[in-house]
Amino acid sequence: MHPNADVLQGTLDLLILKAVSLESMHGWGISQRIQQFSSGVLEVNQGSLYPALHRLVKRKWLEASWGTSENNRRARFYKLTALGRRQLASETDTWRRFSAAVEAVLAVTAAVN
Amino acid sequence: MARLTRAIRWLRGLLGRVSDDEIDEELRFHLAMEAELLERGGMTRDLAVAEARRRFGGVVQHTEELRDVRGGRIMENLLQDVRYALRLSRRFPAFTAIVLLTLGISIGANTAIFSVVNATLLRPLPYLDDSRLAVLFSQNPDKSLPRFSVSYADFLDWRAQTRSFSGMAAGTGSSLTLIGDGEPLRLNGQSVTSDYFDVLGVRPERGRLFAAGDPATESASEIILTYDFWQRQLAGDPKIIGRRLRTGTGERTVVGVLPRSYDRDNPGVDAVTVLDPASIPGVENHAQHMLGVIARLKPGVTQAAAQADLSAVAGRLAERFPEIAGWTVNVFMARDEATRTLRSPLLVLLAAAGLVLLIGCINVVNLLLTRSTLREREVALRQALGAARSRLIGQLLVESGELAVGGALLGLVVAHFVLKLIVSRAPAGLLPSEIALDARVLLFTLVLAVATTLVAGLWPAVAATTPRLAKALRDGGRSSSGGIRALRARRMLVVAESSLALVLLVCAGLVIQSLRNILAVDLGFDPTRVVTMRVSLPGPRYNDTTQVQFFRDLQSRLEGRAGIDAVAAANTPPISAGGITTNLRLIGSARADGGKVMGPATAITPGYFRAMRMRLLRGRDVAWSDVKPTIVVSQAAANAYWPGESPIGRRIGFGPRDTVGFEVVGVVNDTRARGITVDTPLMIYLSYAGATNVARTMSLVVRGRGDAASIVATTRAAILEIDRTLPVYNVRPVTQVIDDSLGQSRLNTTLLTIFAMVALALAAVGIYGVISYSVTMRQQEIGVRMALGASSNNVLALVLREGGLLATTGTLVGLGAAYFATGLVQSWLFGIGRADPTTIAGTAAVLVAIALLASYLPARRAARVDPLVAMRGD
Repeated sequence: MHPNADVLQGTLDLLILKAVSLESMHGWGISQRIQQFSSGVLEVNQGSLYPALHRLVKRKWLEASWGTSENNRRARFYKLTALGRRQLASETDTWRRFSAAVEAVLAVTAAVN
Repeated sequence: MARLTRAIRWLRGLLGRVSDDEIDEELRFHLAMEAELLERGGMTRDLAVAEARRRFGGVVQHTEELRDVRGGRIMENLLQDVRYALRLSRRFPAFTAIVLLTLGISIGANTAIFSVVNATLLRPLPYLDDSRLAVLFSQNPDKSLPRFSVSYADFLDWRAQTRSFSGMAAGTGSSLTLIGDGEPLRLNGQSVTSDYFDVLGVRPERGRLFAAGDPATESASEIILTYDFWQRQLAGDPKIIGRRLRTGTGERTVVGVLPRSYDRDNPGVDAVTVLDPASIPGVENHAQHMLGVIARLKPGVTQAAAQADLSAVAGRLAERFPEIAGWTVNVFMARDEATRTLRSPLLVLLAAAGLVLLIGCINVVNLLLTRSTLREREVALRQALGAARSRLIGQLLVESGELAVGGALLGLVVAHFVLKLIVSRAPAGLLPSEIALDARVLLFTLVLAVATTLVAGLWPAVAATTPRLAKALRDGGRSSSGGIRALRARRMLVVAESSLALVLLVCAGLVIQSLRNILAVDLGFDPTRVVTMRVSLPGPRYNDTTQVQFFRDLQSRLEGRAGIDAVAAANTPPISAGGITTNLRLIGSARADGGKVMGPATAITPGYFRAMRMRLLRGRDVAWSDVKPTIVVSQAAANAYWPGESPIGRRIGFGPRDTVGFEVVGVVNDTRARGITVDTPLMIYLSYAGATNVARTMSLVVRGRGDAASIVATTRAAILEIDRTLPVYNVRPVTQVIDDSLGQSRLNTTLLTIFAMVALALAAVGIYGVISYSVTMRQQEIGVRMALGASSNNVLALVLREGGLLATTGTLVGLGAAYFATGLVQSWLFGIGRADPTTIAGTAAVLVAIALLASYLPARRAARVDPLVAMRGD
């Protein structure tokens, strides 16, 4: 396992964990939520969303169960586990440090220009 | 039914698996939601569904990827991988073509050689329980005669006194004339002891074989035919058993037909009769070597034990009979004996083909590494999406496996043609006729394909999936540090393949020069426009006087006819490994051995030297008018037997008891009578009048002016004028006899040379590939150098130096390996040492030159690069 091996993967995981941290949601809901939260900037590639969801379930950061959607369809809902909550906290922290570092670098570059 | 489905679902849930249905349902839900959203935005329903689907990128594909994540089923993966690999090969057509060609040629070479091995070394003899069948020879270590025929007297004593064998039988070649309605037909016969086929383990196709223990007199008028002869000459006559055949020595009754398999091991034999000991001249003499002996080991007796048993018996006999002092015996297993001349060259060729395959694999590894560099991003992305590493390695192995299988299929085609070449170039009788790509060969090819997959595919697969993902994604597929690491490994591969290629080149170089040396050998006679043919004078119709008279008559009739220059006869063809090697006695010699020597002797008729265009150095030729038989010796024999003295007037006795001997009347130049690569033999030429009892069958040599066919026709006509019942056979131009005797070395040389050339070409491709790759990797560096003032020529030199260095390193390593490898072809070499400096330096120079040539193209590309473009590193 390489938790920080990949920016894309790490970021998508973080976004998913964040999206389901408030309430349990189905896959489509998660993709809509991420899009809303980011004011439409981050569009989740639906092709990578479901593999990511299954992977997170496998890692026991999410729990999946079948339920009924808002329009009365059968849907698979994902819920954050305790392990997932801890992971969310630590990834949020890592991300903040990372983006701060990038910000700092960009600021320096701007000064040189 | 529904209950069952639920139960399965429950069970799957228990095992932590998500079923396919659930995946489908979840994705369908997603699509429905997406479509609903679009519909609310104002799209028609159909359009909304289509758009949702498009956005998702196809449900099927994602289902597959989800299965990936949860580690799906192996077969499903395999099928998917195969489909993917096929798509991929279409995406890289040049890559695919090069890999398939490389594998096709190298696997094909191996398959072809293995088919020959399979048809010869691996095939049992066509006899019952052939693993216990042994061949026995007299041997004389002092005279370097490991395989000498056995005397009848020895055979009887061996059979009576040994305990290791359940049976021992003997046989010898014989000739038989079949007198029918047309021209008399000469049969190639065998005469054997009556228990021969029991010991050999042969069952008849028809009728019966000789009854073991039969008094020889009872079987004396019987004859057994080979399957081939029965079919060919007697049209497979169904009532053949009991038929009476008229032969030159009386009527014989056909009692049986041998199975077809017998022909395979005894090609050319027409009929078998019982050996009549009374027909053997000097039958009671232990030194009268003339039989082939076979024996069957008792169960549990090893070859070594049998050898010890028989050696003890032979030792006692050698003490008791002075004429065989120094003689002992060799026991060889029949299976080993049957493939003796083939084994070592075949194994060498198999090893050479193996090297070619290894070089081919190295090239494929290189190509796969290059491609995996290009695909690094794809692999990284898939790993990011959660595909397990083992799954990816599996997929990459399937890809290389698919290439290997394709290569193997192509290899079968290549093998078919190589095999055709081998069979067409092989001298007659060397290889069995039915060499084919049978099940065992196909299995061998399959194993090669699997091995190739593992050897060539595993490393690139492991390298490609080594986690350095973040980097690969960031660099956008141009991961330079991984590239440099790969470059180092690939340079090592190229060094390895250059060294392997050098090994093959050195061996091929030595063998080619050996063949050239062989062809340049001064034979001592002129083989052009001479035709040789065998003629056999059957007793008792011909006696000592009429035998000689026949050849004298023939010579006087033929010489002077149109197109004929000279006619004579000898008991062996001009070049033959066989012939008589006999005990000689140099009468009146002061030598320490009392003048008792063993040497080759040939019976000739007057005019033989003239017909062969040999040079009489002293004295005269043998003559029809000689009252007593006379002798001419070769220069080497004269020097060896009477150093510093004139041999003329000396006498040589035949056999240890002969104290009178025959007079030496002349000396001729040396020839390669016993084979081109056999050192000049110490030849004793005895006039035929002195050898009529041992040589009823003679080889005519006819020198003419026209083509071979007309020479033969004229000769045949003259013979029939003298004796209407005499067949002529084994008709061959002497140049063809020589060609045939070189056939195997020519074939070996051709194959080894082809393999070496393929190896060289593959090494060149390998060097080209790595240098091209290196140039791409170093583009930025080269750009900087040029910006700092390096000229195009500097860059050219820089790249060429890299290629030259790789090849030189490979050469140095290869020289070490060649030192050992040349030991394997030592026995093929003639007139050249295995460490011949010219060959080694020459082949090394060729390899380096080819490497420089292969580096030149990428070097020129590098030198032409625009420094600005290069530095930007796009």
